[in-house]
Amino acid sequence: MSITVENVTKRYADQTTVDRVSLEVKTGELFVLLGASGSGKSTLLRMVAGLVLPDEGTIHIAGRDVTYLAPQQRDVGFVFQNYSIFRHMTVARNIEFGLRIRGVRKAERRERGEELLDLVGLGGLGNRYESQLSGGQQQRVALARALAYKPGVLLLDEPFGALDVKIRAQLRQSLKEIQKALGVTTILVTHDQEEAFELGHRIGVVDRGRLLEVDAPDRLYERPRSLYVATFLGAGTVLVGRCRDHRVALGPLTLPIPPDVPHDEGDRVRVLIRPEQVALNAVEPARNIPTLGRGQIVDETFSGAVRRTRVRLPSLEGVRQVSPPLPFGEENVLLDVAVAAHSEPPRENPWVVLEAWHILRQPTPRLLVCDEGAGLAPALELARPLAEAIDGVVTVLGVAADTRRQDALRDALAARVAEAGLPDATVRVRRGDPAEQIAAEQREAPYDFVIVGAGEVESRWGRRQLPRLGEQLVERIATPLILARGRPRKPERVLICTAVGEPGKADIRAGGWLARRLGARATLLHAARPGRAANPIARTHLERGVATLRELEVESRFSVREAETPIEAILAELRDDPHDIVVVGAAPPNARGFLRGDQVTRQVLRQSGVSVLVVPQGSW
Amino acid sequence: MSAAAPVAVRRRGGRRRGGAALPVGIVLLVLLPLILMPLAAIFVFAFRGGAADFVKVLSSPEAQFALRFSLLIAFATAAINAILGTYTAYVLSRYRFRGERPLGILVNLPVAIPTVVVGTSLLLLWGPIGLLGRWLVPLGLQPMFAPAGVLLAHLFVTFPYMLGAVKPVLDEIEGTYEEAAYTIGANRWQTFRWVILPALRGGLFSGVLLTFAHSLGEFGATVLVSGNLRLKTQTAPLYIFAQFEAGNVAAANAVAAVLATLSFFIFFFLLRYTARRGR
Repeated sequence: MSITVENVTKRYADQTTVDRVSLEVKTGELFVLLGASGSGKSTLLRMVAGLVLPDEGTIHIAGRDVTYLAPQQRDVGFVFQNYSIFRHMTVARNIEFGLRIRGVRKAERRERGEELLDLVGLGGLGNRYESQLSGGQQQRVALARALAYKPGVLLLDEPFGALDVKIRAQLRQSLKEIQKALGVTTILVTHDQEEAFELGHRIGVVDRGRLLEVDAPDRLYERPRSLYVATFLGAGTVLVGRCRDHRVALGPLTLPIPPDVPHDEGDRVRVLIRPEQVALNAVEPARNIPTLGRGQIVDETFSGAVRRTRVRLPSLEGVRQVSPPLPFGEENVLLDVAVAAHSEPPRENPWVVLEAWHILRQPTPRLLVCDEGAGLAPALELARPLAEAIDGVVTVLGVAADTRRQDALRDALAARVAEAGLPDATVRVRRGDPAEQIAAEQREAPYDFVIVGAGEVESRWGRRQLPRLGEQLVERIATPLILARGRPRKPERVLICTAVGEPGKADIRAGGWLARRLGARATLLHAARPGRAANPIARTHLERGVATLRELEVESRFSVREAETPIEAILAELRDDPHDIVVVGAAPPNARGFLRGDQVTRQVLRQSGVSVLVVPQGSW
Repeated sequence: MSAAAPVAVRRRGGRRRGGAALPVGIVLLVLLPLILMPLAAIFVFAFRGGAADFVKVLSSPEAQFALRFSLLIAFATAAINAILGTYTAYVLSRYRFRGERPLGILVNLPVAIPTVVVGTSLLLLWGPIGLLGRWLVPLGLQPMFAPAGVLLAHLFVTFPYMLGAVKPVLDEIEGTYEEAAYTIGANRWQTFRWVILPALRGGLFSGVLLTFAHSLGEFGATVLVSGNLRLKTQTAPLYIFAQFEAGNVAAANAVAAVLATLSFFIFFFLLRYTARRGR
């Protein structure tokens, strides 16, 4: 029997434990949900069993909608991590319990009980009590009990969590055989990747309530799409290099980027290198063999079949290592290599050869658009060209003041989202204070940009409140924030203000990236005090900024304006030369009190009259 | 390491052998006049007039009634509170709700209130001029100074004992125990009947015995609500008190001896049972 989970969400208090998960398990399949503890995988399983009701979404078992059915009516067998064997019943009575409930005759019960005891390898132990069984035996009883009444679906919640390694391996083997023999559709939850690899026909990796990737074990290991899956499953090093001419540059080496990985010139591209994909050579390999240069062995651990070797590579220009994290003070790349234990690796500065690698997908940018369901919709209007330009996924969030208005707001948002031409957007509604709820949403499911409406809008979030909402958000979230104003169209001119929110080039990079995706022209504005325009430090700074923009292939010019305060310079520039969006920096949200830069940020929010992109320090 | 190595270091909770004579002697010396001698006195006085006299006093209709009535009330109290207490314990242990803590305190309150106060409050509620009682009088109903009143008082006074015995056991049964039964297909009642109740056996047993024993000896509340009517509402403790007052010490002692023996047996079973569980 198949299991279909669609868009299921579960929240506890303010925490989203399971976040819009969709999943399909085929008849007879053994599906493994893999994730760290607290990732929400058990909650998902319990929702399939009916022990927890979802807040949103639907669950079908064998085509029947069971979303709100009681566990008794779902025809599932569930094995708990703590087994929960009924203490006062013998093993046989435990196993027969489901049959007794269903009014099966005694003789038949007895027969089926014996059959199951044999199936799980506990023949002859029917008269024992829980206290007379070992952990492994209890686990087998729990399995037999869950299978006795031939449920359509078997659900196992960390079934081997509390057992020692050897028993685990035995039980895994028996579970695999039993599942195959019975052909029962199974979902198993575990945090143990070895278990997932060994048992799963397919594996779904869960992180912070979201189902990241689903695939066969080997494909998931060899070709993960996301960084989390790449590093959660198995060992390996992830390096980041720049994209040049459809290849990623790793120092002396450039690797082709496969056509199915969308990429832009200058993008940062992540390359996963598994330990067994690296070879250490004593002699220099031929020129056509991908080589990272000569390394130096810094550590070796013997672990049975392989010798885990850590090699320090010479400094690679423009390459950064993201996983595993480098120890403090280490500046070079440290590559993990698996050397077969029987072979002796070359000791003296071996040549590091890549035999295989995998290029991870660029993460899809996520846009959070905040709309209030009435009045003008500058945020929604700006969201469409932005989403198209950056090829992002859009979530539209509404915040209702109280429960009564929640449903009405949801309907209004759905209509407005359709009207704004964003049919694929997800609509979410939260309850409470707008700024707080937007910040909470951002914490729970990180977005790359948050867009809120601002400016001349007659509405609750509008003219009177919006500058304040914008300011509150700047204080609270560490994500680039766009305040959409007026009736925005696709931005064609971007004004990047560099003197604001020094130091940090995050605003230049974020603004440049956006300009490039939008195909917009950029102006780099430097505000200087009267008579200080020729300041050499400012010059260098501007030149660097222009270089950054050139690297991003953005058509740009720069402008230096003398004024008493930065805001005057910005307003003068906008007056002389209209722009669609102003980019300013901001201090990170946890910095208390308004810093100098934030003072300017606030003034720009209030006075510029165009849309503003606020880039918090360190967010880009 | 300390230099005092030759002195045997006892582990915490370890037991000392030898040298027990003095401390044990002190304990016995205290317990003798405090507990043991009064108990012995009952039996000594009860049999002063010989076995024949003992039987004769016991077989008087009043004594017979008092003992039977006490046993009947104790059985009824234990049975009713077994159900009420278990259900309350289940609700308190399984559901999270507003006012859960105040309710938890409230249901244990009867232990803290003097039994005489309980009797008074019952009279004020159910008595002929009580808040509810005054509406019952025209209907010909009068719970006070009647067996029903005695039962009400006993239910009130002994309620927490059942709860105290059952709730800890329930709290210890992990939630997945019930969830397991649900996924297997058992409905709420089946789960309670076949999964929870059997696990509660021990707690239920000791709760019932405790309730029974307390009901058997209840005096303070009973004396007020019963009106102490011979052959109608007089329980064994009331009989003992009444006979004593009347200077009829032999009769009082005979019934007291029976009560003491009964209680002793109940506690004997209780101790044995809990000892077996604890092992």
